[in-house]
Amino acid sequence: MIQISDALLSLVLLSVLLSLSSNRLVGLVRIMAFQGIVVSLVPLFLNPQQGVGAGSILFLQIMILIKGVLIPGFMYIALNKVKIRTEVEPFVGYHASLFIGLAFIVISAYITERLNISLPGGHALLLITAITTMASGLFLLMTRRKAITQVIGYLMMENGIYLVGAALAKESHTQYVVEFGVLLDLLVGVMVMGIVLHNINSAFDDVDTALLGRLKD
Amino acid sequence: MLELVFLIPLFAGAMATFLPVKLGRVILVIAALLHAQLAGLCWLKITAPMFDAYFRATPEGTLVLLVTSFIFLFISIYSVSYMKETEMENEHIFIGCMLFFLATMSMVALADHLIVLWIAIEATTLVSAPLIFVHRSKEALEATWKYVLICSVGIALALLGSFFITLSMDLGQVDVPLSFSALQAVAASLDPVWLKAGFVFVIIGYGTKMGLAPMHTWLPDAHSESPSPASALLSGALLNCAFLGVYKTHTLLHAAGLGAYSSNVLIVFGLVSMSVAAIFIMNQTDYKRMLAYSSIENMGIIAFGTAIGGLGTYGAMLHLIHHSLIKSSLFLSSGNILLGYGTKLIRNTGNMARLLPRTFVSFFAGFAGISGFPPFGIFISELLIIIGAFRSGRFVSITIFIFCLILIFAGAIRQVMRMSFAQHDGDILVQEKILRILPSYALLLTSAILCVWLPESLYQTIINAITAIGGGVHG
Repeated sequence: MIQISDALLSLVLLSVLLSLSSNRLVGLVRIMAFQGIVVSLVPLFLNPQQGVGAGSILFLQIMILIKGVLIPGFMYIALNKVKIRTEVEPFVGYHASLFIGLAFIVISAYITERLNISLPGGHALLLITAITTMASGLFLLMTRRKAITQVIGYLMMENGIYLVGAALAKESHTQYVVEFGVLLDLLVGVMVMGIVLHNINSAFDDVDTALLGRLKD
Repeated sequence: MLELVFLIPLFAGAMATFLPVKLGRVILVIAALLHAQLAGLCWLKITAPMFDAYFRATPEGTLVLLVTSFIFLFISIYSVSYMKETEMENEHIFIGCMLFFLATMSMVALADHLIVLWIAIEATTLVSAPLIFVHRSKEALEATWKYVLICSVGIALALLGSFFITLSMDLGQVDVPLSFSALQAVAASLDPVWLKAGFVFVIIGYGTKMGLAPMHTWLPDAHSESPSPASALLSGALLNCAFLGVYKTHTLLHAAGLGAYSSNVLIVFGLVSMSVAAIFIMNQTDYKRMLAYSSIENMGIIAFGTAIGGLGTYGAMLHLIHHSLIKSSLFLSSGNILLGYGTKLIRNTGNMARLLPRTFVSFFAGFAGISGFPPFGIFISELLIIIGAFRSGRFVSITIFIFCLILIFAGAIRQVMRMSFAQHDGDILVQEKILRILPSYALLLTSAILCVWLPESLYQTIINAITAIGGGVHG
């Protein structure tokens, strides 16, 4: 029987690989919206036998709203303002990035095997996806030059960490007030980054981080 | 109600953002005064938390809260005069963000829940970012971008570390609330491997925010590009808050019997930070960057002292207090120098002793204080850390420690002498004002007083904060 959660996780992996090989920024933002929604849905299908409470349904909606609509929407506005469409000359090429993404999956599978910890419902794929997403996010952050792609890398890393949390922490620790606080931080963080991005664009006429090299010792 | 300590500045900040600037300045000072009183009530244990699952007045948190509140009061008075001189474009946002910054830092000081602490520390990054790029120069924008991105990524790793600590709790079959005080009690049954892994990620995460090398790269940029009152807050208050996150996790590991491991990690980070600061201070051309590197050095000293245990830990806590007092005073003086000469470059300044005599006194005295000369408190704290390290037999580390201190003093004294006495032709742009002088004098004076006379209740708070990790004056 195909489990829904495994199907969702494969979608997350797919979105990670897509984002690594994409050079169109609008496409990247759309992929992030998709990934945000899928990642929010994962915890719902992890323990189907437990039943779903009213709190978790409400929280799910808030999370989809923030991760799938508000954050990508805000990125989209920022993108329109800076009028830049594509990533140029990344430090690592798109094909190589895709290959590295595949390598991340293999390495994560190996790490998950070695860690040998019991996951809720035996979802080995959950930890594999989480580690891959985190590593790929960090990779995007380091190898792309446009500031906006770096924000996307940060978001992807944050998604990965959320999945690690879902994989490792028991349901009983979940406190929606606290999780909401984390989400709010993320939202405000992206907003602040968007504002700084906008200012960088008007000061430098570009959002290329290679231009940010004035402060040195 | 303990939560008022951060709710009041939050509310005041929201008001100041929307009200006219003149009213905002009044709100800033009033909120600072109110906050100081609330922090005092918290210290005297008069107020109890309403949401005790998330907040608690721990001794170490109270100490950080008191220091933050005290220096914020003086910085707020200074910034009223500073803002008048600089004609800031978005002054109401600056005032609002300063108050939000105070609110989030107080929240860090009181947070007891692992994830609430994380939320509060990340929030400090977000609300302080507008303080840095308020002038919107290219340099300030670059500094803000680095600050927000590097710190957010770093702090995201700390969240991962917190999840690992949660996992160590599940593996150890303990079911308690996810708060430091609850975990402390059951620390022995936590899974050691994941607890260690959690600590490494937490120290990388919060260490980034604290300015420990090699994750310090944002710090010199952010501290030098922000307006001086904001630099003073970043250096004097924010770094302590990040240290609090590291300290609480270190305490947890100590309770779990893994104190030796976390101490060694802290010592390595501490010494690397000091060495990096020593290298970069030597040929520094910008006096605000010089002060920023000195903050990295002092955070290294605090991390080192905490790890030493016994007398060293007591010294580290004293160092935390005095570093905040003296460094924020120095940054306030540097604001006067920047206003006076209109430049941050050391070679374009000079003859401060004649041109800006009162600023010269506070800057030079502050420099003597930060280098460890009596009658300022850093003299005592560094001495105690050195004695503590000798007692615990860490001879190699303490040699590196002392060597770095000498290098930093030698590197910095050259620059300070140049700024104070070298020839300078040119006029002073903005004269000194009493409101911009008194706060830095007051902060230095407090350090000098606390050096010779430490109130019994403050002493007791420090001791309560450090007994959990085996610190004390007799150990």
